[in-house]
Amino acid sequence: MTEDPSPPPPEEFANRLRDLRKQVDGDNGAVDKPAAAAPGSAMGLAFRVGIELASGLVLGGGLGWLLDRWWHTSPAMLILFFFLGAAAGMVNVFRTAREINRRD
Amino acid sequence: MEHHNPLEQFAIQRIVPLHIGGIDVSITNSTVFMVLAIALITLFLTLAMRSGSLVPTRWQSMAELSYEFIGNMIRENVGNEGRRYFPFIFSLFMFVLFCNLLGLIPYSFTVTSHIIVTFALAAVVFIGVTIIGFIRNGAGFLRLFVPSGVPIFLLPLIIVIEFLSYLTRPISLSVRLFANMMAGHTVLAVFGGFVVALGILAGWMPLAFIVAMIGLELIIAILQAYVFAILTCIYLNDAFHVHH
Repeated sequence: MTEDPSPPPPEEFANRLRDLRKQVDGDNGAVDKPAAAAPGSAMGLAFRVGIELASGLVLGGGLGWLLDRWWHTSPAMLILFFFLGAAAGMVNVFRTAREINRRD
Repeated sequence: MEHHNPLEQFAIQRIVPLHIGGIDVSITNSTVFMVLAIALITLFLTLAMRSGSLVPTRWQSMAELSYEFIGNMIRENVGNEGRRYFPFIFSLFMFVLFCNLLGLIPYSFTVTSHIIVTFALAAVVFIGVTIIGFIRNGAGFLRLFVPSGVPIFLLPLIIVIEFLSYLTRPISLSVRLFANMMAGHTVLAVFGGFVVALGILAGWMPLAFIVAMIGLELIIAILQAYVFAILTCIYLNDAFHVHH
């Protein structure tokens, strides 16, 4: 395989890749499912979901605190955005869980 | 022994102090390991692909495997439009992977155990994806914050929550990598201290634990690079296919 000086246009490349993949897939059935079933996944899962939730809280709290400083409304915005952030964190957790379920 | 703090390993040390225009741009141990990671990646990929034979050698097949791995990841999570961003995601994956793996070598420094490094990477991804989303969809990208089938009176609340959820992406992306790396290395150092403290009589117990832990850390190092890359793909997918 010698180096081609100019790469082929993306469409041609995509077509070639698809044809090749068809050939390979025909040869040995299912190819390349990436190792999505992560080893040590129980702890990893807990870590992942926990961080999603916590990042919502941190963002909500931080944003509320900043808005309070700008608008001198302390602590109304902090309280409001803390709960909104918590909700956003839960949305994240929900999405993550749904995505993990789909992946399995 | 009294000077050994489990968090000492994360200290930034200036190796070549440099100040340009009042800004500290010293070459630190962090800089050295970042450059080392980039040099090793370049060396690995160029040397492995030097022969470029049809029947790959062991090194070539390692390089091709990493290429295929990211290529498939993009194909499955973004689709064909995502192939244009392959260089970026591949670089990101390799950089995080090599930084994580280099950090596992005793006495080395883990670049990715600093939140400012991971946050900078995540911010690049976040800002980049947002710009790509707006370029490709125009104002239609804002539909990302408006899920379909929501009662109209709930919409203001949902939009705010969706927007906040979008803003948490760089935080969760960076904190996940940083926390995993830092927690693992701290645990290793703490148990290393136990080995010394318990001495020859019982020191082998934490030592055995460290051996097992290093194995786990190796998995985590690779897994976190994978997670970082795949989440970048998932975010990129949102920029191409706006739907909820």
